Amino acid sequence: MKSARNVSPKRKAKVLSYGIKRQRDFGFYIFSRVVIAVTIIAILFPILYIFSISLRTKETLYQDTLVLIPKAITYQNYVDAFNYAETHLDVSFPEMFRNSIIATAISITIAIVVSAFASFSFSNFKFRGKEIVYTLMIASFAIPVQASLIPLFFIERDLGVMNTYLAIILPYIGFTIPIATLILRSFFEGIPVEIKEAARVDGVSNFQLFLKIMLPLSKPAIATCVILLFLETWNEFLFALIFLQNPRIQTLPVAIAKIAGGKYLVPLGIYGASIMITVIPILIIFVIFQKWFISGVTLGAIKG
Amino acid sequence: MKGTTAFQKFHRNVIVPYSYLIPALVFLLVIVFFPVIISLILSFYSFTGYETNIFNKFVGIKNFKYLFNQRYFWIALKNTLYFVGSMATLQVVIALFLAIIIFLGNFKYSSLIRMIIFAPAVLAPVSVSLAWRKILEQDGVLNQILNISYPWLAKVHLAIWCVVSVNIWQWVGYNLIIFYAGLQGINKELLEAADIDGANWTQKIFRIVIPFLTPIIVLNIILNVIGSFRAFDIIYVLTRGGPAHNSEVFTTLMYYYSFAANGPSKMGVGAAIAFVMFSAIIVFGVVRIRLLQEKRG
Repeated sequence: MKSARNVSPKRKAKVLSYGIKRQRDFGFYIFSRVVIAVTIIAILFPILYIFSISLRTKETLYQDTLVLIPKAITYQNYVDAFNYAETHLDVSFPEMFRNSIIATAISITIAIVVSAFASFSFSNFKFRGKEIVYTLMIASFAIPVQASLIPLFFIERDLGVMNTYLAIILPYIGFTIPIATLILRSFFEGIPVEIKEAARVDGVSNFQLFLKIMLPLSKPAIATCVILLFLETWNEFLFALIFLQNPRIQTLPVAIAKIAGGKYLVPLGIYGASIMITVIPILIIFVIFQKWFISGVTLGAIKG
Repeated sequence: MKGTTAFQKFHRNVIVPYSYLIPALVFLLVIVFFPVIISLILSFYSFTGYETNIFNKFVGIKNFKYLFNQRYFWIALKNTLYFVGSMATLQVVIALFLAIIIFLGNFKYSSLIRMIIFAPAVLAPVSVSLAWRKILEQDGVLNQILNISYPWLAKVHLAIWCVVSVNIWQWVGYNLIIFYAGLQGINKELLEAADIDGANWTQKIFRIVIPFLTPIIVLNIILNVIGSFRAFDIIYVLTRGGPAHNSEVFTTLMYYYSFAANGPSKMGVGAAIAFVMFSAIIVFGVVRIRLLQEKRG
């Protein structure tokens, strides 16, 4: 502390560690509480409103909609939503989850393995063209997926992978490699050189260094990648919409988006329940791993 | 090194490093770079998507001529500017404002507050748009709250702003947590000293906090431009580009021309839109690099 300022201990005590002083900035104290309260309500209301709809009986669906806790709670809409998906969306919810899980798990795994190899090369070797290749790789992060969409459509058609999991797994891998490589390379380069040199002295080969030493040390960076890539691929819509015409293998976003289509008028209760079926699992995962999510997204952004 | 043959050198400096790189490079080349180049070329061809050979009909710049004569192209351009512009300004300002308020406000449940505001960012844009579609309907809950009956999504000039608002609702927390992470690196003694000197909170914010955060403001703007420029699902689900193509952006217009079941199946025109988008992002990248150089130079 700057003692030169001659702050009496008494005055100091009034100052909170940093930020506001209750006495002088009482206006800010009230203002900040009001702003945050309004924000929280604006964020939570839509989610809670849809949740409330999904729990209502047909009779109470349009009564006191602003009272978010319905008088009579029913799970019937969820049962109906499961049936509705099978009869009207041509794909059941278990199938949607299966499809999303398969596509996400496979593409994340391959993208991270492939990126880890690339990052090891970038962080461990000096070679010609290194920075050019790396810059191109990272620059492709900014390329909108639409710029490759039409040719990809024909490539996949000619390869015969349209309407298979591979149809979306391939683009998911291609478009997530840059971000994964970015994170893993910067983590690999942060591993102390002494560790690598010690391994070299022991006569460890490059591949063993990568597999036995670098990868085990990189668990936090890999976890960050898993979270970022999960958010990208689990929620992806455009590729899945175009490359998965067969309803049976459609992922959650594509299948569920059909309830907005004008083909049938979806009953409100089923509409709400269908949205919640996609939202609740993600919110549960988010609440459990929230620290990882927030640090992962922050890290991903700042490294980018 | 003595005693090493040319081949050993080549092996060490080329073969070994590139053998680790090859898998990633193959994916990138086949799925990103090669298709992007083909897409640029395809914008000079006319094809519908049903031919076996799509390079049959070279039409020169006809696709572009056609596109620039379409009223909807200019509407999409305007909407894209509104949408991307709002994310780069409005959303960043709101996120910055909230981050500073949470940071300086000494909230007891600070991390819970940030978690709640961030939560929509983990949801699928499709789910979010489906929810808001119901809320914004003419007999939806928003009109009930306001006690009016206004067709928010069916108004020609309003639909795109509904999309902007919903998008901000979903992503403001994303910018917020990045700002907050930046704020945690701020020199707290500086703020304490300002307190002791009797600075009020506006002075603290504008003299200390915002100058400190400038690089992170730039970072958030770049992330939002890249992210919102490619956004598709939110517009597709919320408005389908309607009413009558008035909330179309580049991405949805490209989908309409190339893939939509009720569209004209003019894939060459779709490729022309992709060409325009690719050029725009290149220009953005060049401007960004220029600005960085100016700062350094």
